[in-house]
Amino acid sequence: MKEKIESILSEAKERIALASDENELQKVRSEIVGKQGTLTMLLKELPKVDASERPEMGKLLNLAKNEVTEMIDSKRTDLKLKASEVSPDFDCSVPGVMPQNGGLHPITQMCYDLNDAFRSMGFEVFQEDDITSEMYAFDKLNFPQNHPARESMDTYWLEGHDNGPTNEKLCLRPHLTGGSVRYMQTHKPPYRFVYPGRVYRNETTDAHHERAFFQYEALIVDKDITFTSGKVLIKSILSKVFGTDVPVRMRSGFFPFVEPGFEIDMQCQVCGGKGCSVCKHVGWIEVMPGGSPHPNVLRAAGLDPDEYTGFYVNIGLDRLVMMRYGVDDVRLFHSGDLRFLSQFR
Amino acid sequence: MKLSLSWIKDYVELPEDADLKQLAYDLTMDTVEVEDVEYIGRRFDNIVVGVITAVNPHPNADKLRVCTVDIGGEEPKEIVCGGINLAVGMKVAVAVPGAMVRWHGEGEPVEIKKSKLRGVESYGMICASSEIGLGDLLPAKEEAEIVDLSAFDAPAGTPLADALDLNDVLLEIDNKSMTNRPDLWGHYGIAREIAALYKLPMKKIEPAKIDAKSDFKVEIADIDRCPRYIGVEMNGVCVKPSPFAMQSRIWRVGMRPINALVDITNYVMLATGNPTHAFDADNIKDHIVVRRAEEGENLLLLNGKELALCNDDLVITDAEGPVALAGVMGGAKDSILPKTTRVILEVANFESTGIRRTALRYDNRTEASSRYEKAIDPERCDQALALSLQYFREFYPELQVVGYCDRYEKKLERAEIDVNLDWLARRLGKHLTNDDIRAKLEILGFDVAIDGDNMHVIAPTWRSTGDISIKDDVMEEVARMYGYDHFEATPFETSFTGAINQKEIDLVRNIKEYLAIRCGMQEIYTYPWMNDVFVNAVMQSTDGMLRLSTPPAPDLSYLRSSLLPNMCEAVVKNERYFTEFSIFEEAQVFTDADYTSPYDATESLPKQRRNIAAAVASATKSVNELFREVKGALEYMPRYTHMESFTFRKETKPVWADNVVWQNIFRGDVKIGDVGLVAKKVSMDCGIKNLTVLVFEIDTTLLKPLISRTNRFTHLAEYPTTDYDISMLFDSATTWEEIKGVIAIKENGPVKKADFVDEYRGKQIPAGKKSVTIRLTIGSNEKTLTSEEIENAAGSVMKQLSKRLGAELRTQ
Repeated sequence: MKEKIESILSEAKERIALASDENELQKVRSEIVGKQGTLTMLLKELPKVDASERPEMGKLLNLAKNEVTEMIDSKRTDLKLKASEVSPDFDCSVPGVMPQNGGLHPITQMCYDLNDAFRSMGFEVFQEDDITSEMYAFDKLNFPQNHPARESMDTYWLEGHDNGPTNEKLCLRPHLTGGSVRYMQTHKPPYRFVYPGRVYRNETTDAHHERAFFQYEALIVDKDITFTSGKVLIKSILSKVFGTDVPVRMRSGFFPFVEPGFEIDMQCQVCGGKGCSVCKHVGWIEVMPGGSPHPNVLRAAGLDPDEYTGFYVNIGLDRLVMMRYGVDDVRLFHSGDLRFLSQFR
Repeated sequence: MKLSLSWIKDYVELPEDADLKQLAYDLTMDTVEVEDVEYIGRRFDNIVVGVITAVNPHPNADKLRVCTVDIGGEEPKEIVCGGINLAVGMKVAVAVPGAMVRWHGEGEPVEIKKSKLRGVESYGMICASSEIGLGDLLPAKEEAEIVDLSAFDAPAGTPLADALDLNDVLLEIDNKSMTNRPDLWGHYGIAREIAALYKLPMKKIEPAKIDAKSDFKVEIADIDRCPRYIGVEMNGVCVKPSPFAMQSRIWRVGMRPINALVDITNYVMLATGNPTHAFDADNIKDHIVVRRAEEGENLLLLNGKELALCNDDLVITDAEGPVALAGVMGGAKDSILPKTTRVILEVANFESTGIRRTALRYDNRTEASSRYEKAIDPERCDQALALSLQYFREFYPELQVVGYCDRYEKKLERAEIDVNLDWLARRLGKHLTNDDIRAKLEILGFDVAIDGDNMHVIAPTWRSTGDISIKDDVMEEVARMYGYDHFEATPFETSFTGAINQKEIDLVRNIKEYLAIRCGMQEIYTYPWMNDVFVNAVMQSTDGMLRLSTPPAPDLSYLRSSLLPNMCEAVVKNERYFTEFSIFEEAQVFTDADYTSPYDATESLPKQRRNIAAAVASATKSVNELFREVKGALEYMPRYTHMESFTFRKETKPVWADNVVWQNIFRGDVKIGDVGLVAKKVSMDCGIKNLTVLVFEIDTTLLKPLISRTNRFTHLAEYPTTDYDISMLFDSATTWEEIKGVIAIKENGPVKKADFVDEYRGKQIPAGKKSVTIRLTIGSNEKTLTSEEIENAAGSVMKQLSKRLGAELRTQ
């Protein structure tokens, strides 16, 4: 009988080791320790065993039965750990499903990025209407009556409002700066605000010229601000947009509404300043005009230019977005074409 | 504007080995933007002087010749050429392999390679002037004429750039960057600026010595418009070409050499920035009067334009009438002709804005008017006169100055400005010593007197025509001479008064992000003007719309009063590529009404609001599905964006909407927008083919952000609630609004909530009926309800529904 027990035990060990799923384990259990199982049958034969050996055999049988049960239990745990809900040929390399398929316009995204940066520096966000009078488009900005810029910023005038004194002539705003004067007229200094908005120029369009485009104006006005503080603004904008510190330079530039005025260039991000076709081989790209508001502009806003000064920058958002993503045709922004817009989610 | 470096060097002692890249950089940083630096000689790389030693017929082509040309190497080269003026001994321009030429002076440059022409090997190309970019400098008299260089003293093999002395450098300056610096228009002005930047000596143009026999007479009737006029009458001139060196310089900077008389006037303008003009003296009757034109007075210009003048125009006249439009263009009558032997030279100063008005009035802007309109200082006439006479005397040794008159009636006042030095230091953010400031200004020609804290500055004449007028201008001069790049970025100090709290601005952003991120819509931008097709289709009338007087195109003149026409246009565009999409736009809309003066009492601005509109388009989904999608986006918008909620009801049908599927949107009693199905007719008129399009448009200026988040905490239910669905048959016309009104939700009642699940018409439902499934949430505040109590609660709802709305329980 001892031999039989041992042979059943070793058979059980082998079959349990080989079992690859719950069903096989169940089979082993019922065939060995189940009601009709081989070990159970031996236990039933125990009364027939010689009484002297009976206690020992009984002990052996019980031990064997416990051992098999334990082995099955431990194997079952083992199998559970290795098991999966699905068949092993489940393909995890198939692409996922997009959670949503909407998105903000890339210029809106850029604008919000900048708003976040400026808000964190304590700037308000200002917004104004698209239609303005010539008085606010030019007069208040120190553009003399016959200044060529009135002409070069070819303006969209409104029918029935395109004649007469400048306060009666209405147009789609050619730039945002007139709106900044409105802000200053209605708020108390010091000022710290940004002003994103769309502006309009009546010109022929091509890959680099649009009739409607976005500007982003930032203005600080306070007592005794030096124009060198403007460098902080510029660096903040560009590092927010490009994610790293971008070298910038300020050079002499002329705009009627600032004094002194600057052209602000950033290092070409395509060639890293070495010179390439994008930057016309100079290593720098003109990104925005800037400067201190002209005393006449401050006066128009009701401030004393001896007391107040400030710094202003005006960024072409379209151009910055084009650089950020490598877009080569500005007209795509107003195309409403989802094949284009859906690339910027 | 293009400037020749060799020409600049006439006026400033720029070292031979000056680093041009650095020069361009410094000018760009401190003065004007140098857009390009071009080595002219490089245009003529691989083009050399050749001497033709033999001309033979081409065996296979009548019009071609096979030339033997000495180009300086050991062996002469065989070159096939079709030129009509080929001759033995002639010096020609030979493009050898590697040179870039334009065939027949047209198209893109191509590289010359050794090749066979009609079976004969040809080493290179004997060029016509237009083929190597010299068409304006060495013009051909006939087509197919090659350029004859025999007049140039250069042996065979000399690089063409050396032979023609074209190893010059061009600086191209962005005109926009110098609109405020009239003093820089011209080589002399730029030389003066370079001299200041690098502290180099100038080679000044010394005033002319004039000993005229008789007093030539000039009268100025309007000294405000013509502060100065110099007339010089000269005999002993003739029309002939100017020396090649002068022609070459004029050509390098982009003008065309004409003849010596015209070339001198152009050259002097390009050198000094002051335009000059030469009249044929035989055609000037009596003396010159500068006056305002009479209304309707006629003048035939040099370019053939016949003008009827007005009183705002300034004219140069003789005894018979106008001979030139002052500062703009000469007249046909007085112009230089081949027979001219006597001239009257005009060196004058005209007031800028008048010149500009006249040039614009007749759409006749010229090199002269574009310079005068920048405001030139009258002192510059001295240099222009001196330089003119120098060349007249050089080109015409027989020249006699027979008349001279300098009427300088309105002297230029030099600008005088007081600058507080403490103010200067504060604005610069940097303290510079008085000596340093003085040095920076004096080198630019300013006179500086410092007395304690005050600096009295007198600007040079050439900066006193408006350019320098206030102390900020002086600060700019000091700063740029110090170099903007040498100022360190300084942090700005700010006073903190509280957090930025701009609810309206935030609300619009929240809505846009909600639509994009939660509702899966794509934001688009469109123009503020609309195409007439979509205006007519969607709005059906242009009442109350503003219109552009100079629209981008005739059919794009109306400004949008609604975002929907452009939204529909975007749907049409995208239907080509997509069968299902949703888009939205947030932008300004305009109405020709409710004019207000929000900032300035004299201003009157039309009603301008900001709308948000969306379109959900699908070729496969049902109207019902799409309507619920769009309405869902609207219903949940207030909750996710923290604003006062909306209600929906039918009050006024939007013109574009289907007759049944539409609602108006309200915040309280205020109508803030519409939602609905775009009517089939509208959709067809727009050109939408297969898409069903649902749209909404709301006025964001009528939305009201919540002051804070207002929803309150509610206790978690102590006892379980059960969802219990009931399906009942209603009359097809019964609305959910009505059904919901019948189901009484009481604070302590068992029915806590009733939600719409779906509705169904069709199979197994009798005609004129619909089945509506309602999900009731049933529970109690005091105990766990038994299933019997739940059934009873549902039962009483059903009883109410059948009693009040005639609903029947749906039997499967």
